Order: sequence, then structure tokens, then C-alpha cells
Amino acid sequence: MALASTEAPEVVAATSIDDAVSAFGDGEGVTVLAGGTILMVDLVHGRLAPERVLMLDKAQMAGVRTEGGRITIGAMTRVAELEDSVEPLATVARGVADPEIRAQATVGGNLCATPGAESPRGDLQAAFIALGAQVRSVGPGGERTEPVEDLLAAGPEGRLVLDVSFEPPQAGASAEVRRPHAHAYTILSVCGAIGVAGTRLAASGAGPRSVRLTSVEEALASGADAAAAAARALDDVSPADDALASAWYREQTLPVLVTRVLNDLG
Amino acid sequence: MKAVGARLPRYDGIAHVTGRTQYVDDVRVPGQLWVKALRSPHHHAAITHIDTAPAEALPGVHAVVTCADVPHNVYGHLEALGVPADEPLLADGQVRYKGQPIAAVAADSEAIALAALEAIDIRYEERPAVFDIRQGLDPGAPEIHHWGPVYPHFGPHNHRRVRKGDVEAAFDAADTIVEGVYRPQAIEHCPLETQVSLVVPEANGRLTIYSCTQAMYFSLGVVSAHLEWPLNKIKFVGGTVGGGFGGKVDTATETVCALLAIKSQKPVKWRFTREEEFLASSTRAPWHVEIKDAVSKEGWILGRRTLTLHDSGAYSRFSPYGLTKHAFHHTGAYTIPAVSFDGFVVYSNRVPTTAMRGFGVTSVSLAVETHLNRVAQVLGLDPLELRLKNANRIGDTTGNRVVMHDPSTVAVTLAAAERVGYELGDEYRDMTSERRTGELLPEHLAGQQAPEGEHLIVHSATTNGGH
Amino acid sequence: MRLTVNGTPRELVSPPLTSLLAVLREELGVTSPKAGCQQGGCGACTVLIDGEPRRACLTPLAAVDGAAITTVEGLGDPTNLSPVQAAFDEHYAAQCGFCTSGFLMASHALIERGGGTSREDVIEALSGHVCRCTGYVKIVEAVNAAANGDVHAEETQADMGPQGEENISLIPGSPA
Repeated sequence: MALASTEAPEVVAATSIDDAVSAFGDGEGVTVLAGGTILMVDLVHGRLAPERVLMLDKAQMAGVRTEGGRITIGAMTRVAELEDSVEPLATVARGVADPEIRAQATVGGNLCATPGAESPRGDLQAAFIALGAQVRSVGPGGERTEPVEDLLAAGPEGRLVLDVSFEPPQAGASAEVRRPHAHAYTILSVCGAIGVAGTRLAASGAGPRSVRLTSVEEALASGADAAAAAARALDDVSPADDALASAWYREQTLPVLVTRVLNDLG
Repeated sequence: MKAVGARLPRYDGIAHVTGRTQYVDDVRVPGQLWVKALRSPHHHAAITHIDTAPAEALPGVHAVVTCADVPHNVYGHLEALGVPADEPLLADGQVRYKGQPIAAVAADSEAIALAALEAIDIRYEERPAVFDIRQGLDPGAPEIHHWGPVYPHFGPHNHRRVRKGDVEAAFDAADTIVEGVYRPQAIEHCPLETQVSLVVPEANGRLTIYSCTQAMYFSLGVVSAHLEWPLNKIKFVGGTVGGGFGGKVDTATETVCALLAIKSQKPVKWRFTREEEFLASSTRAPWHVEIKDAVSKEGWILGRRTLTLHDSGAYSRFSPYGLTKHAFHHTGAYTIPAVSFDGFVVYSNRVPTTAMRGFGVTSVSLAVETHLNRVAQVLGLDPLELRLKNANRIGDTTGNRVVMHDPSTVAVTLAAAERVGYELGDEYRDMTSERRTGELLPEHLAGQQAPEGEHLIVHSATTNGGH
Repeated sequence: MRLTVNGTPRELVSPPLTSLLAVLREELGVTSPKAGCQQGGCGACTVLIDGEPRRACLTPLAAVDGAAITTVEGLGDPTNLSPVQAAFDEHYAAQCGFCTSGFLMASHALIERGGGTSREDVIEALSGHVCRCTGYVKIVEAVNAAANGDVHAEETQADMGPQGEENISLIPGSPA
């Protein structure tokens, strides 16, 4: 554990997107505070001792807008605002924690969530991957726009996410495994969407971050049926044991969830 | 008697709904310091080196305590009852569970206290650990305590025993033998209020201890014994406990806070984080219960052999007491004339377990009732009728030789059946708790009834039918 | 930094990243919101921020500079309970009471926006709140009662007069 700092960090409150980008710079020594639902826990427990904290809640980075058939979601948009969005995003958003957390947590924070030590987090990642979303970020090398799965694979550390955008799909679906009570963490979930480029699928909770199920997509493209394609999902993931479930359990249930999503997509 | 049968308001209800109920963490004392504990990161290890001087030197740190600061370090919760102790307040030379407290710091803020923990110079040598108490009993299993894998003080034995009648004869006479193994697991109490206490050193040398304990006089005795202070120098202030469920009988924070308060001469508060509560606070114990019943084809339970292993964790705490209660109820609400019960408190390198609602009894009830369903299934009998048949009657004696005066098994079972519309045969619906005589008294129960009017048969070695 | 707490403007000296929970409890002595987990997982710290229920343990002070904070102390006091407070007392919705403050603030906000009249509505809105004592049934009943205007506050509030055996206040209805 990092040495608990007794020095209060410098706090910068950005008042516009440009202000945030400039204050972020190349990200060196900057800790971003979006909604706070993840960061505040580490701060309160002394696990993080940031030197400089960049607060974004007044940086005008929130909002959902539709332009020319494309939906763009600002990074500071609260998860609660996505509850009426398109599938699979809406159902996944509604399943994040509880109403009070959803009203505080942000899309950007969820996308960039560090892998949870005891349970998966970043549920929205799989939904955005399935939607073929592009994420716009700044950091070393300047601004870039890329598929969400590429940002996650490279690691969003050191990037400041500005927004996520996608075209509404023809169809969207999700399936999940979670304990049967309110406010439960998602053990494993699969999101799927049919867009102009075909069927895309992603899994959340089967590795440190959500991943695209490219093996399943390839199997479908070469004519495999749902069950056969679903079995290929295990090629794309590396689940671990954690507080919620074992890797073995996730390996058993992942193909089942993929099959359900494929059947729901029609 | 206006209150009986009436709806009374809770005396603390209005305080609860106006936010005025005072819990320990709500007490405000000027100059209060915050406590954090250095906890073992290993399940089982020797402490090869510890130096707290770097922590003590940090600005804002007012006191650091280790086992060297505790006048009477190893004190057991049951010592007042003459049961020897095995648990140190602060670890001395070794740690036996992940989360075991080794040192504690009192500082101006939680952040400084955490920094002080980091500054403590400590080195460990890991040892193999035991997590499964079944393996803990194997020869060659890693040693947790030098006296062996089980708690050794049950009179002349190293386990709790109940013997009555001739269990071997019952097995010989049985039409069928039904065996089962039942393993209820640990449960974390998870009260909304974590373990917390605030200790104030008074100008006259006494201590005032604000505590969340469920057992104030008990905790007063524990603190007094560790400190070797007379009881009248310590004032406990209890009050509303934010949920305990049995987990707040362990006096988890009070003594360490007292030591830090004495050393720093300032008020100190130790409030567990939720993570500490899950990691290091006690849980309900896991149990392993093996039941073997000698059964007649009509559904009489002629005899029962039970083996219980209770996972006490690294130290025994209240486990011997819980096991004894468990032993008392190992026949359930039913009369079994021949019993042989052996129960062991087995150590493991897990968090020491403690009381939780129905301590010791819920485990054996789960085992007994599930086992009866298994017996019914094997015999092809109705599970409720099986229970009614074997239910306690007036004049029956338990395995512990307590005489039943007013058993409720039959009445409750019949009432429950009627409430849910469960069909029972006429013979069963007409059953009562009355002392069985004549044709109603089965042969196997004839010898175990107490003589009419007998209250309690005092156990002596010579009244045993077996060993 | 500034907050208005239960209608009173306060100036604060806590550092900007101090949690609102710590600001309320430690700097201002407002102790009704509780430190149940400090991870946002239990709801015992919930307060209203500009009327919206939020976890005080996850809210940095700097994010609410200038906001209006409402805690249980601002809902009502023993001789003048708000409907939701009276309902919780009447329906035995509090046992140890530690989770109660958080439940009250979230319930109050739910009722203010017109919800809480059905069991499903309450369960969804309060899904972030944990109670280890009551089993939730009484809490849901209390919120439903408050939302449906079925509260007997005048029978519930504290009686500051002399107490004697003849003054045992009994709640109408058969035992819970």
C-alpha cells in the first residue's frame, strides 16, 4: 500500500473542456476525479496519495447529444442518464449499483475504472464495445479517437476521456450472472448488438477489463450456429477467481450468456 | 398490566428517527486521537523482528503499543469460568491468522496513524497454514498450538462427550443405518456499526470507556484482567449498539484503546473500517457434523452417533462454550435413548470464531433436521410423521439426562402442519405430548423414561450405559 | 468552502477532498449520517444534496461547495416529526437505528418526488441501503404509509410531560 500521505493534494477544478485538457497535460502526476465513487474510497482509506487532483464536475463534460445519427455521450454524464438509452446500454446502466451511486458515477469513470481487486467493475465497458463505440481522449501524443476495446487493451491510464460515441444499433441485448438480490455486483455479463458491420459481442467480468468476443464474432461470420459460436468465447477471456466467483464458474457460464444474447438478438 | 399484548412504542424509537441516538462514534471528546492497528498479512508466521521506534518518531503519533505493553497479554474470555486462555491481545512472536493485531498506533489523524503503521519495521517467516479442520487433525498437519490441534480442556477429555445407553446395541438392532455429513459455513455478522470504542483517561487516573459491547460487565472484566487494574478504576459507558448479533462480545477494541489512552494520556478512538470488520473481526464458526443413526423400519431412531468438528479459528475464544451448547441439542426435539456424541474444538489459521445468534445450536439444528429428512427419505416415510413419532414426550430424558416436563415438539409440529394444510395420518393428528405408557410406549424407549415425578437425574459415571 | 446545512450557512476549513461525511460528522458535529462502510456500499451515510439523496462518504467537499445539505436533523425533531420519521417509529422500522438516518433521507426524497406508494418502488429506490436488523419489511411498510399519507404523527411524537404508569402510550392496533 502506498504510504498514506498526510499532505493534502493540490486540487484543480476545471471549468471547461479546454481547461480540463490543459490542466491534464500529459497526465503526469495527475489524478482525475470524475464522479468520485471509485476514487474517494481509495482516498478515504489512505490507499492513494495523489499530488494533484483534477476535478471535472464543473468542466461541462456531461450530456448526451444526437447528431447526424450518432449518439455522443460526454465523459461526465452520470450513469443514471443512460437508463433510457439504447440497448444494451440501458439495461446495463440500470444494473449498476443503486440509484444513489448511479446518480453520482460517471461514464468516463466507469470506462477507465481500474480493475477491481475483489470484484469486476466497469460494467458499461462491454455495452460500449458491443455498440462499436469510439472513445475520444487526450493525453501523451494529443487527442485520439479509437474503438473502446483498443483503449481498454492499451490501458486508459494516462488518458483523459472526453466522450464516447456510437450509432444506435439495429438490435441490442445483454445477459448477466449476478446474485439474486438488489444492488448486487455483476459477476459476469455479455453484451451484444447488431450494427451496420454485423454482430458485435463483449464480456464484462471475465478479466481485468471488458473484452470484445472476436472469436465468437468470427465463428458467427463463418456460419457457426449460436451454441457453437458461443463456445468460442473462452478463447477471448482470461477470468480469475475473485470474491464473487471462481474462474471455473465464469468459464461455465460465459457460453450460456453468449448463447442467450445471440438468441435475443434474433 | 396494560402493556402486555399491547403495541408499545420503542423507547428509543424517536431518538432513532431524529438522528439523536448516540453511538460510540458519535461521542465527542476534545483532543481525541485515532487508532489504527498493524495486522498480520500472513495466515501463519513467526515474527522475526519488530521495531516500532520509527513509528513513534513520526510527528502526530502519540503512542504505539505492542505485546510488551500489555500487563497480562494472554487472557481468555472464559477464564472467569476457570477455562484456560490461549489468545494474546497483541501478537507475541507469532501470528496465527491473517488480520491478527500485532501493534496499535494512536495519532492525530487516521492518515498519520496509517503512515505510522507503514513505518513499523517488521519481518516475518511464513509457516504452513491449516484452513480445513479435517486436515488439521491429520498426523503431520502444521502445528498451530504446541498442545495439539484441538482445544484440550473438557474436564479429563480433549473433547465434549455425551454418552447414554448402548449405541452399539442400537446399531446391531437397527433395520437400517442412515449416515449424513452437514457443514454449515462461517457467517460474518456484518453489523452496520463496525467495532468501535473510545477510551478517555480521567484526571484522577481512572478510565472511561465508551464501548459498543453487547456485554458491558463482561468486557469490563476482560479489560480489567488484561490491564491488571481493579474493576473500580474503569468505567464503562455502554449504550446503543449498532447491531451486534453476537459479534460484539469479543471486546475487540477496548483494551488496546485503554493501553493507548494510558500511554498517551489522551482520549483515543479505534473504529474498525468495514474492511477490518470483514477481514479481522470474528465470524460465526464453520462446523462439520457427522450423524449416524440406527433406525427401525417403522421409523424409530434407536440410537445416534455424532461427531462434530467445530472450526474455532486460530484461538478458542468462546468455542468450547458453543460446542457444549451444540452437544446439549444433538438429539434435537426428539427422544433417542442411546447416544454417543463427540465434539472437538479444532484450530485453524482462520479468524477466531465467536458467538452469533443461536451460538452452537443453529449448526446442530440444521444437521439434525436435515438428517431426519434424510432418514424419512431412506425409509420412505413422511418427514413430519417421522418427527411426531420420535418427538419428546413428558417424562422422556435427553441425552444429557434432563427430564422433559413440558416438551412442545408435538404441539408445534401439529400446529404448523395445520397452518399450512399439511395432511397427516389420523394416528399422527391425534398425538399428544403426554407421557407414553402401555401400547404407546415403544420398547426402545422404555428404559429411558424418568420415574414419574422425577425432576432431574444427576449424571454420575456409574449411571452410564456405555462409554 | 461553504455549505448550507439544514438551513444554516456554514463556512468550512476541512481540506477540499475531505468527504462530506467527515465534514458533517467531524467538523460540524452533525452525527446522524453514519460511517457504515465508507465505500458507498451501505447507504448509512446518505444525505440530501440540493434535495437529492447521495452518499456523503463518496462526495468530496469540493464537489458540493455552495450546496444545500439536508440531514435527519433537518427533517424534524422529537416534538415535531416529519411524516416519514413518524411512520418509521410507528411501524418499528428501526431496531438498532444505525441504518435509519440513511433510509430516512432516501425515503424522504422518494416521497417528495411522488414515489414510495408501492413495495416495488420502495425496493428499487432504496436498493442501496443495507439493514442487518429488521429484514426490511417494516421499512417498506413505513415508507408506503408515509407516501400514502397514512401516518399518525400526533400519536407518535415525544411526550415531554410527566411520565407515569397511567401515561403508557399505546399504539392502536394489535401487537406487531
